[in-house]
Amino acid sequence: MTASLNTALEQPAKPVSRVALAFARLKKIPAAYVAFWVVCLICLMAILSAAGVPLSPYAFDQATDDLLVAPSMKHPMGTDELGRDLFARVIYGSRLSIAIGFVTAGVAFLLGTTYGAISGYCGGKIDTLLMRGVDIAYSLPDLLVMILIGVLVGKGTFGILFALGLVSWMGTARLVRAQLLQLKEEEFVEAAKAAGQDGFTIVMKHLLPNAMGPIIVALTFTVPSAILSESTLSFIGLGLSAPECSWGTLASDGWRSLRAHPHLLGFPSLFIFLTVLSFNALGDGLRDVLDPRTRLFKG
Amino acid sequence: MLALILKRLLTAVPVLLVVATLTFFLMRMVPGGPFDADKNLPPAIVANLNAKYQLDKPVAEQYVIYLTRLAKGDLGISYKYVNRTVLDILSEAMPVSLQLGSAALLLAVIIGVPLGTLAAVKRGTWLDVAAMFLSTAGISVPGFVTGAFLIFIFGIWLKILPVALWESPAHMILPALTLAFSPAAYLARLTRASVLEILEKDWVRTARSKGLSHWSTVMKHTLRNALVPVVTVLGPLTAILITGSFVVEYLYAIPGMGRFFVTAVTNRDYDLIMGTTLIFAALLIVTNAIVDVAYQILDPRMKVEG
Repeated sequence: MTASLNTALEQPAKPVSRVALAFARLKKIPAAYVAFWVVCLICLMAILSAAGVPLSPYAFDQATDDLLVAPSMKHPMGTDELGRDLFARVIYGSRLSIAIGFVTAGVAFLLGTTYGAISGYCGGKIDTLLMRGVDIAYSLPDLLVMILIGVLVGKGTFGILFALGLVSWMGTARLVRAQLLQLKEEEFVEAAKAAGQDGFTIVMKHLLPNAMGPIIVALTFTVPSAILSESTLSFIGLGLSAPECSWGTLASDGWRSLRAHPHLLGFPSLFIFLTVLSFNALGDGLRDVLDPRTRLFKG
Repeated sequence: MLALILKRLLTAVPVLLVVATLTFFLMRMVPGGPFDADKNLPPAIVANLNAKYQLDKPVAEQYVIYLTRLAKGDLGISYKYVNRTVLDILSEAMPVSLQLGSAALLLAVIIGVPLGTLAAVKRGTWLDVAAMFLSTAGISVPGFVTGAFLIFIFGIWLKILPVALWESPAHMILPALTLAFSPAAYLARLTRASVLEILEKDWVRTARSKGLSHWSTVMKHTLRNALVPVVTVLGPLTAILITGSFVVEYLYAIPGMGRFFVTAVTNRDYDLIMGTTLIFAALLIVTNAIVDVAYQILDPRMKVEG
């Protein structure tokens, strides 16, 4: 007893960072842990492809002499009507799909956190007004707004990003506001105020860091929903189109020949599904780990 | 209760006005007009067409003209579907979309709520794991993939169900299933979380210690309370169903509102875009009002402030 107490005193516990702690907890949730590595792999694929690393023998021009062949040893996912190797195209398409997911989450973070922080910290009339704005923005179906915006800004990558960013920030804003409303009543905020810190410093240094867990969880769910929205928009012909290449445009091209060549729709869809599923499972896990409102890890 | 409903209806008017205004100006900021895509129209004819439909006037003036017409209940005419008013088109398309939407909503509730309840009650068992995997997968599948999969299995491979158009009840099966898939998964996840929370409450323990069976505790004491959050999502769920129907109507060539909206946007069919958007917004407002009323029925303690 005394011995163990002594050793404990002699070797003070190493300060464990919050990230390391969260990761250790995540490891205990098998589905989320697997999902984490799948997400890493898919992101690595997109990054390597963007960096010009050939991940498939047909990485550069994707062109082969085989038109519309079914999946085989030579072409694991078959080829399309121009003889392009689908595996190479799916890898190439991952760049845009993944980038769209992350950029949208970034926009949602910046816009949503700023808006929510102002609303939550100021409170009162400003809060009511700002939240009414969110209510109205929320009451319109995302796809409806995205279609209208997409037509306005243009159908290219920028247009899609703009539209996705514009419909994705409201959830984060509401969340940040709710967190801040609660946190700003805490004693440490009062202490900071008494020490003469201004509102901006209090929000940035004291409030937001404490609200980070739920924000990260929300952002983890923003990435897959952006990927889904992009592919859906591209699929119905209102998103990206050639020469742009994402999993959504590949699926859209494949839909036209579903009857004869199902692989053209199947493989891009499989990648969309796997990616979105992994992000969702990771988000579920992170929520259990990071969000104090869930009670999986009491105390 | 009546006062609540009235209040909701009154606030609907300004919200619809905001939606109408936003959509109107957004639409007009888009380059291109309704007659640009027509084949080789001489400029003089385009000018005449624009004049006929008052599209040559300043946008602000057109906005006033539109609102005045709207106040009289005139939704305008379509520039693309010759000799058809927006009201004509919508009154044909709306029942189709409503049928599809309500069939899907029903399916989603019938599948989602029991699945979620079962998963919660059997927490930690393989049933729970399977149900949760299925529902996480369900919210991760794009609608077009579900649709294509069902079309491939039942239409192309087994050849037992029609895969396009909207003519008989058999035509409804695949589209409704496609549309219901994601919302069912969403509802299952939500119901599970909610039932789990309620199962920990004191009164559930009391009911159990009174000697009530496990299932009758769940059915009588838990579900009613657990359904409150489920009803709350009815609003967002309607939004999911509406946006989902864009894809489903596209996949199955169903002449519903979603399809008209998508083509109207690409055609710059101004009045039709406005009409469809307003109907969608109204639909959302109505479901949100229903949610508020349903709250009070499920949990009379809840006082909703208009």
